[in-house]
Amino acid sequence: MRFMIIRKADEETEASMMPTQELIDSMMAYNGEMIKAGVLIDGAGLQASSKGARISFANGKPTVTDGPFAEAKELVAGFTIIDVKSKDEAIAWVKRWPQLDGHGSVQLELRQLFMPEDFGPEAIAQFDDLTNRKK
Amino acid sequence: MKFMMLIKADEQTEAGVMPTEELLIAMGKYNEELIKAGVLLAADGLQPSSKGARVRHAGGKATVIDGPFAESKELIAGYWMIQVKSKAEAIEWAKRVPFDPNGPSATSDGVGEIELRQLFEASDFSPDLYPSDEAQELMQAEGQFRKRANS
Repeated sequence: MRFMIIRKADEETEASMMPTQELIDSMMAYNGEMIKAGVLIDGAGLQASSKGARISFANGKPTVTDGPFAEAKELVAGFTIIDVKSKDEAIAWVKRWPQLDGHGSVQLELRQLFMPEDFGPEAIAQFDDLTNRKK
Repeated sequence: MKFMMLIKADEQTEAGVMPTEELLIAMGKYNEELIKAGVLLAADGLQPSSKGARVRHAGGKATVIDGPFAESKELIAGYWMIQVKSKAEAIEWAKRVPFDPNGPSATSDGVGEIELRQLFEASDFSPDLYPSDEAQELMQAEGQFRKRANS
């Protein structure tokens, strides 16, 4: 099963404050443990919403609004994708999130990902096709 | 530059309603165009928050709250990660996400929202900013893992 760990934004991430050396060290050590355990699939940090945009669709028409966006707690500041055997295993990893992050106060959301088999045989075939072409 | 296009959740995605076949095809075609243009790095759909959890860390303690979570508009239902030359190019791709009022729509009736966010890349974590050997070694090791994972 694949899960996405979503690290919610806060005032510091929205203010483009870069992590301290100590935090980077502990995040890298955490990621290293995930790599060793064979569970890490992907992950990245998101730059402040001031560098982003929202594209809202109404009646199929897109309207672009440039960032920043006010509600920091609803925004995403980073994500990590892991491949584990159960939701419990995923939660165990999230509990081990580096305590230095967010000065010890951080909100993480765990969400299960859809896999090709959730969409039936045709979707799997199409997905394989796309994946093969990418290679 | 790498960008993430986040697609917001709505009542249907939160209710676990699977996309129609038409939408699946429209999304498949859109993804194919991203692949043909050489911009797609990854994409996934997120299952409803009822299958997820929130873990709040405070004062060294982790508290787990199982989903579902009420505020569907703040939740994410899927994402694309793309590699493009500019924010303008990323916006062009975001505008083309299939949200057709008369056809298949990712949400209901052609109403939806994509949030575009630039990603941090290895070059943002330079030795000037993070001089310790440990940090740079670990970052290199992770960079190599990422190359393998994405090849």
